[in-house]
Amino acid sequence: MSTVLILAPVIISNWPAIAVAAAGAASALGFTMKQTAEEAVKRDEQAAAQENVELELAESQVLAQGLATDQKIVLTKGSTQITVQRDARGRCKVCASGSGLSKTELKQAAEEFTQKLTQCFIYDKVMKQLKGKNFQVVNEQVAQDESIRIHVRRWVD
Amino acid sequence: MAQHDVEITISKTGDVKVHIEGVKGKACMEYAKWLTDVIGRVKDRQLTSEYYEPEVKSRIDLHQDLKVDDGSA
Repeated sequence: MSTVLILAPVIISNWPAIAVAAAGAASALGFTMKQTAEEAVKRDEQAAAQENVELELAESQVLAQGLATDQKIVLTKGSTQITVQRDARGRCKVCASGSGLSKTELKQAAEEFTQKLTQCFIYDKVMKQLKGKNFQVVNEQVAQDESIRIHVRRWVD
Repeated sequence: MAQHDVEITISKTGDVKVHIEGVKGKACMEYAKWLTDVIGRVKDRQLTSEYYEPEVKSRIDLHQDLKVDDGSA
């Protein structure tokens, strides 16, 4: 053994990388992405009249690079809608809304999605960096507690 | 050749545990800094005994046996 580090994730990235992580989180949690802009607008109008909960990823920064104005990702599962967007301060914001759901249920949905998005983002970034340093994956598995374990190795002269 | 192993566990909440194995001294610190830059900020760090061991350096010992032929044989 050499060193053990416990790290808190910080999400600083451009919009495309966050969109990829959001798509990964959506897939893992059974959400589907909106098909058309009209559908998104219609859903937004409906959502305005519904309960909603907003969560901000405290340690996040969405770089404006590659981000169009009002760009966002809208995902749905049953009556729950999750919206991922960049707020005015440049942080990543996750909003959960839906009819027939309590504030507690919406907060739980937003938290679950935020955690999965963070996990997907860190996984994508770490794997990309490890490959760049010529590490080879020895083993990779998802544990029962939903954590992802990656064992990598490289040989050095 | 030295074998460098890294075990990374990304928890459900996104916190990351990194275990760097087989890397000694300064090289271990370099890995730790690189992974911290990639992932985020350090919440906790534990240095194990191997960290304090000197880095492996190759050494070649040359031996030469000299035989002197004094002509008595």
